[in-house]
Amino acid sequence: MVPKRHHEVRDAVHVFIHFEDAERAVIDSRPFQRLREIHQLALSYLVYPGASHKRFEHSLGVMEVAGRIFDVVTRPDKVSDAVRDVIPEHGGSEHQYWRSVLRMAALCHDTGHLPFSHGAEDELLPAGWDHERLTREIIHSDEMAAVWESMRPKPESDDVVKLALGPRKVEKLKLGLSFDAWQAILAEIIVGDVFGADRIDYLLRDSLHTGVAYGRFDFHRLIETLRIIPGAPEGGDGSADVDPQLGCERGGLESAEALMLARYFMFAQVYYHPTRMAYNEHLKDFLSAWLPDGVFPIDAEDHLSRTDSEVLTAIRDAAGEAGAPGHEAARRIVNREHFRIAYNRQPDDVGARSLATGAIAAAAEHFGADKVRYGASPRRGDPPDFPVRERDGSSVSSLSLSEVLTRLPASHDEYVFVEPSMREQAKRWITDQRGSIIDQALAEQAHEEETTT
Amino acid sequence: MNRLAQEAVIVGLARRLHDRGSWSGETHLQKATYLLHELFGVPFDFDFILYKHGPFSFQLRDELDSMRADRLLEREVQAPPYGPRIVVTERGKELEQRFGRTMGRHAEALDWAAARLGDRGVTDLERLATALWVTRDLPKGRSVQDRAAALHVVKPHVSMASATDAVRELDEMLVEAESVAV
Repeated sequence: MVPKRHHEVRDAVHVFIHFEDAERAVIDSRPFQRLREIHQLALSYLVYPGASHKRFEHSLGVMEVAGRIFDVVTRPDKVSDAVRDVIPEHGGSEHQYWRSVLRMAALCHDTGHLPFSHGAEDELLPAGWDHERLTREIIHSDEMAAVWESMRPKPESDDVVKLALGPRKVEKLKLGLSFDAWQAILAEIIVGDVFGADRIDYLLRDSLHTGVAYGRFDFHRLIETLRIIPGAPEGGDGSADVDPQLGCERGGLESAEALMLARYFMFAQVYYHPTRMAYNEHLKDFLSAWLPDGVFPIDAEDHLSRTDSEVLTAIRDAAGEAGAPGHEAARRIVNREHFRIAYNRQPDDVGARSLATGAIAAAAEHFGADKVRYGASPRRGDPPDFPVRERDGSSVSSLSLSEVLTRLPASHDEYVFVEPSMREQAKRWITDQRGSIIDQALAEQAHEEETTT
Repeated sequence: MNRLAQEAVIVGLARRLHDRGSWSGETHLQKATYLLHELFGVPFDFDFILYKHGPFSFQLRDELDSMRADRLLEREVQAPPYGPRIVVTERGKELEQRFGRTMGRHAEALDWAAARLGDRGVTDLERLATALWVTRDLPKGRSVQDRAAALHVVKPHVSMASATDAVRELDEMLVEAESVAV
């Protein structure tokens, strides 16, 4: 019997996901199988009951989408002369090598996630550590080295790290890795802010599982129109030397707009839903109390032994045992007695007053530090600009073409959560005190800085 | 610098560049911030890597995004094919005034950046900032030719002649920076 070299699995988003023996070796590895027990959206299933999907299928989806994007943007008839030098010869060994590395990196990009994904990361690892650094450790681990060693061509683990993390995280973690133009584009294919396969898959998948239809968009059309093209000119001396980027054909602009709209709505409706953010605070409180020394281990072996399953069991046990570490937070999660909103960022909390919600949360601690929590989404701005290839082959800024993109608002959600029984009292107090709290916080910031020598 | 003070300095830079006729897009702010940090020690809390058009900071990109969300800056959309300019809002100017002493401390460096970089295009800024990057990256005392060669290696589209000019101009800037009090 001929051994099977090509495999496929059914998938809720992509119908089928295809992979080869080498990729199967990664999929079968312990770090990847662990993702079967890491919820994609942390405790969001307490708000959206269907959101119980895992990082495992998302990572398979990212590999599938990244591979499709790679195949489209490197097809010889889709490559213009302006960028031909950057892209390895189609079908050549270098082209095949990077296609393989790209798909491996897509598979591995989430292996460093802690239990409950992003929900508990920031305060639960030692300083200087985050899930991307753990991802790097896993890609460099002996276990994965054995997998890389068995492959032909053998992927360099630093190449996998570069594409799995991308330049943003390489900068943050000070890894000292540099990206040439080709590698920068490959990293964009996986983790790019605009057309990254990670983003495309999580929007579609999270939309499907939450039942929030806003996250759907025509990704088939979008992928077919993606191209590697020179960046659009930024004025001044024009575009002659502008680095190539991932952009789209003019005919794909509407599907790119739909992607950006999906991103906007999903962030507002799902990822930073206030109840999810409140549960996130309770989860952090529980883990801080339950974990030895209040932080997750950073040793790769210990990391692999921690999944949502152990944490959920611990939450259930702690909720039923008064006096157990993290009992109060566990009880709130299990009994659905999460904190409630006492204040959310107001339309005039902008400019210097952008510190308002944080300052109010700090001041409200006079009710008791254990009765108040502050939650915030990243302070994200309007959609990123990307190049669009016009029919004459020139690159044009997406923002100069799309009124939809220029009018899409920046989103930033901030909340002060309080213990449910004191919500009304806290709201009245905040209404009375808001102006003076903000004025005082502003004065303190200015004084602190102005007295710095 | 605390967050608001850092934002005030970025506002001050964007305003000066704009007043000097700079296109003042993101790349202009990226390169000017890098040069101010490296040449004058303006204490921005950003790391840079060699990426788009030379030294680039994703932390600064996030900060600019956040400042737009907070209505301190806004994008001014341009006619095709050009990317947007970044302009300072009235709220941004108010923030600058609120941090008068901080702005005073860095005024000379910011004025220098506006005067020296305000009329430069993206290509020029890429060459200059990358020249500074390789100068910092190589052992001290390396010749103009060595550094130009290193620049050419990391940015192959910059010719040796152009790289040499950039390194020479950077050396002038390094001398100028020493005479500017921060």
